[in-house]
Amino acid sequence: MDSDKPPIVISRVVDAPRELVYRAFTDPDHLAAWWGPIGNSLPRDEMEFDIRPGGHQRWTEVFPTQPGLRVEVRIDLTDVVDGELLDGVAHVTGHLPEGIEPHETRMRVEFHDEADGRTRLEIRQWLPGRVAGPANQGWDEAFSKLDATLRNAHPVAVDVEV
Amino acid sequence: MSGSDQLSAVFSALADPTRRAILAELADRDATVTELTAPLPISMPAVSRHLKALERAGLISRTRSGKLRMSRIEAAPLREAAEWIERYRRFWDTSLTRLDAHLAAVQAAGRPTDRTAHGPAFPDRESPSKAHDKEN
Repeated sequence: MDSDKPPIVISRVVDAPRELVYRAFTDPDHLAAWWGPIGNSLPRDEMEFDIRPGGHQRWTEVFPTQPGLRVEVRIDLTDVVDGELLDGVAHVTGHLPEGIEPHETRMRVEFHDEADGRTRLEIRQWLPGRVAGPANQGWDEAFSKLDATLRNAHPVAVDVEV
Repeated sequence: MSGSDQLSAVFSALADPTRRAILAELADRDATVTELTAPLPISMPAVSRHLKALERAGLISRTRSGKLRMSRIEAAPLREAAEWIERYRRFWDTSLTRLDAHLAAVQAAGRPTDRTAHGPAFPDRESPSKAHDKEN
């Protein structure tokens, strides 16, 4: 699957050493401090991390202002290299926001050293899991083309968070 | 079809480069199978099979205009797929901005190794992040 081109590719440099950034993803107390939209909450007693190949990360996201929502996330980790790599399939279930169905999505996060003690995150995400496969190449071109197509076909208002 | 199944069908249909090329053509104008075959290195029956797959996914519709059968792009399923991607892009953008602020706060508070053992002694998560996107 590694040769498949994912539809989401994010490269981002953060101002912290690699070991700390890795811990931000793999320590429950860290992850709860930043994961997801502002206003969510990850109850500590519903977090369970077992960081190793074949291990998992589980948590629940609740939203105090939207009591009906309860997002349950389970990531089955397939590939883990301490300080360097997390790769796994996230299963997202629960009482999800309007318009979002339960789904699986593979996520891969690589941690690379950058100059001045910074870290470059290389994030890849495949969606949805059930159609990921060898035919999944060329997403970037497909979606840039689609974006253009959609703009031409119908003006699409995209919410941009700032 | 449920939204989820529809999305699966859309992704499957889009996974093929020839079908994407056909959609690109149809993005500009409606076309017949003959017109769609001309720039492609495959036979007209092969193009017809691709058109059937695109139609099943709801990505195109086909109508008869006199003797001509025209294919037309349908934007709604494409939009759903694009919105799926867009939603996760926004998710990462928000999360990584929060991550910037979190990492800055942890480092400002002292040696990270001194902090992490003590649970969520982290800054007010409601406060907007001042951290800059270091992407560029």
